[in-house]
Amino acid sequence: MIALLEGRLDTAAASETEKAMSPLLDSKGRDVILDCTKLEYISSSGLRIFLSILKSAKSVGGRVYITGVSDEVSSVFVMTGFVNLFEFK
Amino acid sequence: MGTTLFLGFNLYAWITIVTVLGMFTTLLFTKLRTDLVFLAAIGVLFVTGVLDAKDAFSGFSSTSVIVIGVLFVVVAGLTHTGVLQWIVKHLLGQPNSYSKAVVRLMLPVAGLSSFLSNTTVVAMFVSIVKMWSKKLGIAPSKLLIPLSYASGMGGVCTLIGTPPNLIISGLYSDKTGETMNVLATTIPGLFCLLVGVLSIIAMRKLLPDRKAPESAFEATSEYTVELLVPSDNKYIGETLADAGLLHVRGGSLIEIYHFDDVPASISENEFLMGGDRLVYAGQIDEILELKKSHGLVSADHHIFSMSEVDKNRQLRTAFVTFGSSLIGKTIGGSTFEHDNNLTLVAVARSGQRINETPRQVVLQAGDTLLLDCPPHLNVNTDRLSSQLHFFDSDQVVNIGSKTFISALIMIAMVVLSALNIMPLLQCAFIAAAAMLVLRCCNAEQAMRAINWDILMVFAASVVLGLAIQKTGIAERLAMGILDICGTNPIVVMTAICFVGTFITEFISNTAAGAMFFPIMYEAAEKLGYDPFPFLIALMISVSSSFATPIGSPTHMLVYGPGGYRFSDFMRIGLLMNLIILAANILIVNIIYPLTPLQ
Repeated sequence: MIALLEGRLDTAAASETEKAMSPLLDSKGRDVILDCTKLEYISSSGLRIFLSILKSAKSVGGRVYITGVSDEVSSVFVMTGFVNLFEFK
Repeated sequence: MGTTLFLGFNLYAWITIVTVLGMFTTLLFTKLRTDLVFLAAIGVLFVTGVLDAKDAFSGFSSTSVIVIGVLFVVVAGLTHTGVLQWIVKHLLGQPNSYSKAVVRLMLPVAGLSSFLSNTTVVAMFVSIVKMWSKKLGIAPSKLLIPLSYASGMGGVCTLIGTPPNLIISGLYSDKTGETMNVLATTIPGLFCLLVGVLSIIAMRKLLPDRKAPESAFEATSEYTVELLVPSDNKYIGETLADAGLLHVRGGSLIEIYHFDDVPASISENEFLMGGDRLVYAGQIDEILELKKSHGLVSADHHIFSMSEVDKNRQLRTAFVTFGSSLIGKTIGGSTFEHDNNLTLVAVARSGQRINETPRQVVLQAGDTLLLDCPPHLNVNTDRLSSQLHFFDSDQVVNIGSKTFISALIMIAMVVLSALNIMPLLQCAFIAAAAMLVLRCCNAEQAMRAINWDILMVFAASVVLGLAIQKTGIAERLAMGILDICGTNPIVVMTAICFVGTFITEFISNTAAGAMFFPIMYEAAEKLGYDPFPFLIALMISVSSSFATPIGSPTHMLVYGPGGYRFSDFMRIGLLMNLIILAANILIVNIIYPLTPLQ
């Protein structure tokens, strides 16, 4: 399952994004790829969505990969320590 | 000097009056450095020709100012060898009533203050008295004002106990060629102290019964603590409930901000992220346990790894001083933390619960701050000490043979001077040298102990006193007082001491002493009496500033820890001013009966 993220995933955009990404919460053990190539910014609300997806995937033996993070988004992952939770491709 | 008179004063006198008034207005309403304002005033008097170069700079070679400077070194020796700490530890005991506690506290404090700087003594006692009051079940606010008063009243018991005494006695010997004995004020001072102690006991109801702010750091609810989650924290990604960070022992989480400064909901399902700022309310010591148990840190900037945090940093308590530039600001909105390498951990305010993040609290004078400090923070820098008064002391001294030696040096100095074997200045120099040679303090500690700012103010005060005398202001004021009070010397003495007592509430005791010296001296001479007893009474009255927290630096030291308000000092202090004034006039006239000049 692949999700393409685009633009700014800030607090305002979070609830819509959460709805759109809700199918990923039911990955049934399949790997999930979050393609962040076009993602410009991620807020704490965005990270919360990513983490929910990771937790639900892990609970059924699935894996979550993040791809194509920009420097700015990467620095958020480093600062929050989320860099250690996810697998990056 | 100019001869044109206006309201009885010549031009030079008016320049002096305007300069002095301008100086005190500047000090009251601006935050300019006191020494700078005093020196500027001297500059004005010199440039306008009121004083010639010799007079304008005479304060810097004044014996009394030099004695004060040298005594800083002697006191450094005593402090660094633990004499004070030893006395504090052994004197207070376990009295079983408030009256006994006041006596056990005030007498030793007064005794120490009569030889040491009042500020040093009070600073040393504040934390001890707080712990002691807890042990005795008495509110610290009932004991801290007496502590400060005792140091002021003890200070006047010897000439070396407080700077105004040295200044006034120095001016007296300049004028008459006679030297005052170092113990000249002892008996009147002790009598006033006794009256003061009894008055405090009698008026104990006027002292507030208030919980101290630093129980702050023990009592619940009133204090908020902010902790940061470093990027390598092992709980990142877990919910607050799973991480055990929602309800903690001794407190609870009241706010959480993620790295993007967006406040998050306080729910058990909220995830923990690196960079989160967690704000807790409750018992501070238990909340701070989270640093150890959960790897949280106190920091003003983001921490990526725990290895960035200096394990030797220590928590210190400080109070926001009057005139601090932090008043009305938030720590978060200033560069204070960055400039001083400090981190604000918690804020406490007497009697109020603060519901904000510590960094967002608009600070007030007297607020108690808990700061995460580098291990060897020098809190005596101009920048820091003008804003905060640090409550705890990081000096750990060992009591040993040096303690005994330094005490002996001090006693020898006082005895030699009191018995007129050697003048005080020589005794002080020898004592300071002995402290250094016998290694009671090292050269660096000695030099650091000399408070140059204060010496500048003292030197300038002497010069201002001289200007007031030279321009005829002292004589005119003395005449004016005589016109109003008649020729009864006791009435005149009382009137000048009364004005001195209230003026000294707003200006430094030393400046008040230097400025009232010529007035008192002239008034006594005009009445045809020996000025000596008048000056002893003046010494006691300019040190009797009990009614405002700004009346003495020692009041400011207890202001925060006692959880006091401005009016607390006024309630008991106004009465104390009058009682001590009455005791002062009575005892001085008994011990030093007025003698007509030959």
